[in-house]
Amino acid sequence: MDSITLKVPHTTERPAEITNYGPTTHISQPSVTGTSVVAFKYKDGIIMATDCLASYGSMARFRNETRMISVGNNTLVGMSGDTGDFQHMKHTLENLLTHEYDMDDGQNMGTRSIYKYISNIMYGRRSKIDPLWNSYVVAGVENGESFLGFVDYYGTTYQSPTIATGFGAYLAQPILRKYVEGHEDELTEEEAVRILDDCMRVLYYRDGRSFNKLRRAKVTAEGVEISEPYPLDTNWTIANYVVGYGS
Amino acid sequence: MNFAEMHQPEFAQAPATERHSHGRWEPYVDNGGTSLAIAGSDYVVVASDARQSNGYIINSRYSPKAFQLTNNVILATSGYAADAKRLVEVLEQNSQMYFHKHEKPMSTTATAQMLSNTLYGRRFFPYYVFPILAGLDTEGRGAVFAYDPVGNMERVVYRAFGSAAALVQPFLDSAVGFKNQRNADATRLLDREQALKIAIDAFTGAAERDIHTGDWLDIYIVDGNGVQHQKRELKHD
Amino acid sequence: MKLRAELAIKCATHESQTESRNHSIMQYNGSAIVAMVGKNCVAIAADKRLGQQALTVDMDFEKVFRMTDRTFIGLSGLAADVKTVHDTLRMRVNLYKHREERVIEPKTMAHLVSHMLYERRFGPYYIEPIIAGLDKDNKPYICATDLIGCLSLPEDFVVTGTASDNLFGMCESLWEPELEPEDLFETISQALLNAVDRDAMSGWGAVVHIITPDGVITRDIKGRMD
Repeated sequence: MDSITLKVPHTTERPAEITNYGPTTHISQPSVTGTSVVAFKYKDGIIMATDCLASYGSMARFRNETRMISVGNNTLVGMSGDTGDFQHMKHTLENLLTHEYDMDDGQNMGTRSIYKYISNIMYGRRSKIDPLWNSYVVAGVENGESFLGFVDYYGTTYQSPTIATGFGAYLAQPILRKYVEGHEDELTEEEAVRILDDCMRVLYYRDGRSFNKLRRAKVTAEGVEISEPYPLDTNWTIANYVVGYGS
Repeated sequence: MNFAEMHQPEFAQAPATERHSHGRWEPYVDNGGTSLAIAGSDYVVVASDARQSNGYIINSRYSPKAFQLTNNVILATSGYAADAKRLVEVLEQNSQMYFHKHEKPMSTTATAQMLSNTLYGRRFFPYYVFPILAGLDTEGRGAVFAYDPVGNMERVVYRAFGSAAALVQPFLDSAVGFKNQRNADATRLLDREQALKIAIDAFTGAAERDIHTGDWLDIYIVDGNGVQHQKRELKHD
Repeated sequence: MKLRAELAIKCATHESQTESRNHSIMQYNGSAIVAMVGKNCVAIAADKRLGQQALTVDMDFEKVFRMTDRTFIGLSGLAADVKTVHDTLRMRVNLYKHREERVIEPKTMAHLVSHMLYERRFGPYYIEPIIAGLDKDNKPYICATDLIGCLSLPEDFVVTGTASDNLFGMCESLWEPELEPEDLFETISQALLNAVDRDAMSGWGAVVHIITPDGVITRDIKGRMD
């Protein structure tokens, strides 16, 4: 009697040349995502903001997420991109810090070390062609010197007095170029807060994945301070005059 | 369509700019920037701009891409910044290891060969970097080595690589190589001030026309006295 | 392994080169043309190569044409269209002369060319012309257009062709204002020769025209033949 071949549901046969060659590749697409991070230097250290939204595609899925964390004693990390990958990163950093604590050698993880560690993870994952779908902004004040660095899923790193990720690169960065670049050492906290809120307001007006509930954080010689969520005053009186674009 | 694909929400995709024509994630980006080096009889001049860009976005106005590897060797890069950074780290580590093992710094020519080997070691997943290595050889003469991303190496008198290479290299052919000048002695080497001036002129021109080159210029001059570094302003627009 | 080998190939090719491969029609025959403004004079120069991709088929191909006594046009791009546009333009310039009973000015010719090209907006001639000349007041005029006739009118120099990046780099560092005819000749010649020597698609000798109020000086330049 002839043998019967049964096909397992939900599987397709792939040609051998696809399955047998090349490195292991991973389908990695972001699913639950956070939008821009905006951060810049000012007189006393660094100020940063993110909103509290984690979107699922175009759906405003989680509306009370925190995308900024304090790592170690004097480091602030902001994240945009996939929140799942961010949790993985938080977990990894926690392991690192626990390990450091266990050493009990009186040393503590500095901002630059944490930045380097995150960069190495991001570059390592891109080199495995299995990237963590995030951009990170790392900020800190170390012996009187403020540090602000960026890493993305290519492992690309750079330091700059002003950093904005995602839509922020288009909408917030030009504002920061005008009001912050070249004045980093003179800006007071009040001025910095006003500029940052202006950036976040513009982002809220024009970035469709943003949210009017945000947190602000600062890192100074005294350490990290992350605010409670707060809204921004908005003005929609001109919205009626915007006609067209399908409205 | 397999099971995983069936259950993937359609909208859960990267923004259009980050998707790629093959549907596969590309592990490379071009961060722009230009580097050059000019060798003289007893010195070498290395110059790199410090802009780091990604498409039309400027990431940073000062993100150096020329690095001092050892006491008298400079590595100038361009291409993919993350790979360049890792490459520099690998070379730094290996030349440190060499120093401790042999109790002497690695020579320029040895470093040059090591760089070639390091690049070729990643022949099938290359470092997307266009390196120029510069230093003094054992006779104290200026030495410039130019590479492709997979380690093909060439010792040259002058070379430009990066986003404005097409603009700078012909100028160096004219000003440093005395090409197309019938009565000039093509083997003549420039003195240090001339070379420095030409490097600056080359970058002023490149920053004018290439959007990926600009902001700041890092210049390293290596000679018998060691390494001298200077930072100059380029166009910020 | 297949994926990584592909990456290696992608990697070994710098972006600008990959990019130019996509515009293969504009790069099919190869060319390099440049024009510069001097003191009461202008210069226009071009290489002489005609190729079919990497194969050189002619080393004396004309791409700069004298349309009037004091106005020249250089046509880079697809050689077939260079000939067609030159012929059509010659007809239009002659018609202008007969209708207006005067010789066309460089500026007028630039707009004529621009219109000719834009007429073919959705099936363009694959050429990028540059125009150089002296107007009725002996004022230098240079301009360039893209393949659909968008004019660009800089004050210093214009470049076009497969070696345009190289020419930009050369001109940006060699050109200076108020050059006398002989200095302008030296400048434009050096700019062109050094530019084409770093471009595989152009070169094989060059021709330079210096347009002055007293007449035109035309010189053939010997260059590298490789």
